[in-house]
Amino acid sequence: MFDLLTRTLDSGLVRGLLRSVIDPELGVNIVDLGLLYDVTVAADGGVEIDMTLTTPGCPLGGFLDDQIRACLAQLPQVRGVSMRLVWEPPWEPAAMSDAAREQLGWA
Amino acid sequence: MGVSAAGRIRLRRAPLLALALVALFTGLWGGLILLGVLTPSVLVSASGAHGPLMALGFLGTLVSLERAVALGRWWAYAAPLAAGLGAVAALTGASGALGPALETLAGSVLLACHVVLQRMAPSLHNAIMSLGAVSWCAAALTWLTGAEVNRFAPLLAGFLVLTIVGERLELTRVARRPPWVQSLLLIAVAMFAAGLAASLTAETTGVRIAGVGLLGQAAWLARYDIARRTVLMGGVTRFMALALLAGYVWLAVAGVLWAVNGSMLDGPAYDAQLHAVFLGFVMSMVFAHAPVIVPAVLRVALPFHRRFYAHLALLHLSLALRLLGGDLAGNTGLWQWGGILNETAILLFLALTISTVLHARRTQERRVPEEQSRRVPVRQATAHG
Repeated sequence: MFDLLTRTLDSGLVRGLLRSVIDPELGVNIVDLGLLYDVTVAADGGVEIDMTLTTPGCPLGGFLDDQIRACLAQLPQVRGVSMRLVWEPPWEPAAMSDAAREQLGWA
Repeated sequence: MGVSAAGRIRLRRAPLLALALVALFTGLWGGLILLGVLTPSVLVSASGAHGPLMALGFLGTLVSLERAVALGRWWAYAAPLAAGLGAVAALTGASGALGPALETLAGSVLLACHVVLQRMAPSLHNAIMSLGAVSWCAAALTWLTGAEVNRFAPLLAGFLVLTIVGERLELTRVARRPPWVQSLLLIAVAMFAAGLAASLTAETTGVRIAGVGLLGQAAWLARYDIARRTVLMGGVTRFMALALLAGYVWLAVAGVLWAVNGSMLDGPAYDAQLHAVFLGFVMSMVFAHAPVIVPAVLRVALPFHRRFYAHLALLHLSLALRLLGGDLAGNTGLWQWGGILNETAILLFLALTISTVLHARRTQERRVPEEQSRRVPVRQATAHG
């Protein structure tokens, strides 16, 4: 954790930290599920995130929004978080990482 | 001090949840009257409307609110509003037709939500959920004609079963399975829907066909749902999976009962046929998803706690008591105790959920001043919440 607090803020750091945000029903983090489409970090510490859900009918957008903000609040380098739910391209199982597939029994 | 964005969302959605709770409490009250443990002089109408109050007034409001939250369009909130108000109207008996008419409107708006979702991202799972909304509309329209609850009870079950099955199919995409497996579910859903439609004119035959469809859906879910995998994980993930898998057992029980008996006339078989679905399957799904849906809808934290297993276990054990000791063995006392404990499980679920949310809020409120004093910039990041 101390390492995270002192590292330069970039999209890799944000993505790494967001691996701790878990989809409760699947027990898999949102990065490995392929829900994070884009992470942009501005010079002033502002973080912009484009993410999706597995379907537009899923009501978990607000839940994950809260989880992500709470997660990034651990980083003093972050000066603001802007989240956008996007539906293009639609999420597909192919977006999942190998780690997620293994966890969900694909291996 | 201003109200945060999450606070404003809570204020907007809380009245809709309050309507759902009115329907729940009066539905439970009506349930106690039907069990013969209460002979009250107030709210007697709750017994006649027990089914619609629970299935449409409570669960319908929750399901349509969940969909409105997902869609994020203002008009979608007309569905939970009409569903909740319809329950109140049915209770007060202001006009015999007002309650069913509002429920028909609510089902129609929910169907419109699914049409919009289908245009955004066409999918089989959304099509199945749309069929659930059609079943809601058909149930409410049948109620509007003055029919007894027995007549449209299968359609009420159809709304909830198809909604849940659609949701499960969607999530099960994360599991590896051969492409033809989806066709198996489609056959079961088609048989269920055809049986429901047939039940309007040929009740027993229709219910029996629908029962085979229920059994097929239960078997498919038990075999292919991702819960079989996630039950091996820990914490809230295991809790949700166990609640899901237990629900599938009851759905199979309901399928057998519907297929063998079929009749929707009052009696022990009717009691078992309906409560295996509504309590064993649907309520177990509600318990399973509450740790996720409550925070999503109300924007509050609901950390998982092992005590949540208390209401889940009580629900399933008391339902077994009701169906085996009461309906099957014909022991009225056990049937009544089963029913009372069913209701206790639901109230315990509410009490534990609310107390956990309040405890989490108090903990958070204590933590925030400490964080503010330590790291000013972090508060800026969370202020958008």
